[in-house]
Amino acid sequence: MTSTGISTEASAETVEGYRPPQPDRAGLLARLSDVWTDFEARLAEVPILRALDAGDVTVADYQRLLHNLRQQVVDGSLWIARAASNFDMDHFDLRSAAISHALEEHRDHLLLERDYVAVGGSLEALRAGRKNLGSQALSGYMFHEASQPNPVGCLGAMFIIEGLGAQKAGVWARRFQEVLGLADNQVHFMAYHQDADAEHTGTLDAILTSDRIDDAAADAIVTCARVVARLYVMQLTELDEI
Amino acid sequence: MPATAYLTGLGRYLPGEPVANEDVARRLGGVDKRTDGLRARIHRANGIRQRYYALDDEGRTTELNEELAVHAIEDALADRGIAASDLGMLACATTQGDLLVPGFASMVHGRLGGGPMQVLTASGVCASSIAALDAAVSKVRLGDHPRAAVVGSELSSRWLHQRRFEGVEDHLDAHFLRWMLSDGAGAAIVEFQPRPDKPSLRVDWVRQVSLAHEHEVCMRAGLDGPTAVAGRTWQDYDDVATAEKAGLLQIRQETAVLDELAAAGLAQFEELVDRGLIDLKRLDHVLCHYSTNAFRDVVFDALSARVPGMDTSRWFSNLETCGNTGAASIFIALEEAWRTGRFAPGDTILLAVPESGRFSFGFAHLTVVAPRRSTR
Repeated sequence: MTSTGISTEASAETVEGYRPPQPDRAGLLARLSDVWTDFEARLAEVPILRALDAGDVTVADYQRLLHNLRQQVVDGSLWIARAASNFDMDHFDLRSAAISHALEEHRDHLLLERDYVAVGGSLEALRAGRKNLGSQALSGYMFHEASQPNPVGCLGAMFIIEGLGAQKAGVWARRFQEVLGLADNQVHFMAYHQDADAEHTGTLDAILTSDRIDDAAADAIVTCARVVARLYVMQLTELDEI
Repeated sequence: MPATAYLTGLGRYLPGEPVANEDVARRLGGVDKRTDGLRARIHRANGIRQRYYALDDEGRTTELNEELAVHAIEDALADRGIAASDLGMLACATTQGDLLVPGFASMVHGRLGGGPMQVLTASGVCASSIAALDAAVSKVRLGDHPRAAVVGSELSSRWLHQRRFEGVEDHLDAHFLRWMLSDGAGAAIVEFQPRPDKPSLRVDWVRQVSLAHEHEVCMRAGLDGPTAVAGRTWQDYDDVATAEKAGLLQIRQETAVLDELAAAGLAQFEELVDRGLIDLKRLDHVLCHYSTNAFRDVVFDALSARVPGMDTSRWFSNLETCGNTGAASIFIALEEAWRTGRFAPGDTILLAVPESGRFSFGFAHLTVVAPRRSTR
């Protein structure tokens, strides 16, 4: 379907004044930029992140955050690998990208687990943990999306999650260090993501600006990014709610 | 970026009942006229009024050195309200463990229990306490362990008993320590966060330095002269009994160089001031290990001349009531000062441990910090 085709049939305002949402034909990066701005505003309202910003956190808060993140982080390379397996030969480059990304994420949780133990947590308790309500929703949604044929929308999830790593995790790591006097050795997971995800974001940008992303793909990517942004905020808000 | 390390719990263990000076000979033996005279003179000089021995009136050892260490660690764990299983590291300082092999810390860990942990035995004499503290603090600051225990413990009485002197070549320099050293253990818990319920002691820095490159041995056992020579240490004799008869199993002190030790210690102190590690205007407490009150006066006078407003209220030692317990002394003193409420948030504390062994010095600088409070 072409963009011209959509816009001609989209004027559907009702007599009562309800106007269904209109397709957005701005460029994909501009649309994602808006999604990011909205995501940042939502993150700023998350209680634990507000407390971190105010310097009003304890080591227990850092442990809580790691414990909650870990339960979903272990699923990361799983849904990426599943997405990779659902790209057909016409999407060979996306499959390649997803496979190498899955490999990079595959050992990610080990960094987090090391940090958790280094600040006094029990590895057994961490590994026995369950996903919080937000993590349940986020993980469930990602496995669903990744299970679709040619799940291009998953690029939207990566945009959010990698963006979070590249732009937020390092800031959180430094802030936890400042407030709690933590060693570099205790914030590997968040600090690592700042560098690793900046690299991933570069790769992702190249794909997002390539010709292969048509309007339908762009819509799927933006929608997935918006859902993931909300569910990620839910994961960070519903700490310990299982 | 390293983490910060805090001392969050302190403990001590002194075996048995205190032994007054007049009862010391009953424990250790040595009641001949000459020894009585030496003992009285040494007691007068060192100022110790009572001490503790893990030794009964028959001269039998009542507890192992590793048991003294474990009791002190358990006391420190109880002070902090945590368990041995919470520890990631155990650093033990002692002059002489119970066994020749394996290392003392392995034995202490085996008796203490808890989980898997890093162990370190810092051997030496008094300043090994600071070496053990430094190791634990460093690993906590690296973020390798959230919690560690440090213990200094000594069981020297078994070396001081009359049976170590009878039939042994007489050495006057073995008597100085015989009537000075005694048993005990002191421990500290080191953590990467201050404790939540009461003040902690932030470890600002730890320094240890040896001047062995320009000094011969001073306090020693196991060699027959001032220098170590292949074939002439206690392990090289035809049998250990012969080495003992020659006096190699006595702890001897070259008392003539002790003034030099005090001067060298003060020079190290001045160097720390010069480097900005000690702010003389903000030094609230000094806990200095010394073997005898004679050195207290030398050091105190020197510090009073340098530290504005330095008076006895800022100086703490429990040598007189707890004895000279070597590597345990500094923790036993810190524990008492902590427990009896001498420290207030914001106060700074200098720990100083000169070691005569072959001229080494340990220092640590602490700041009392209030619990971190969250408003949520």
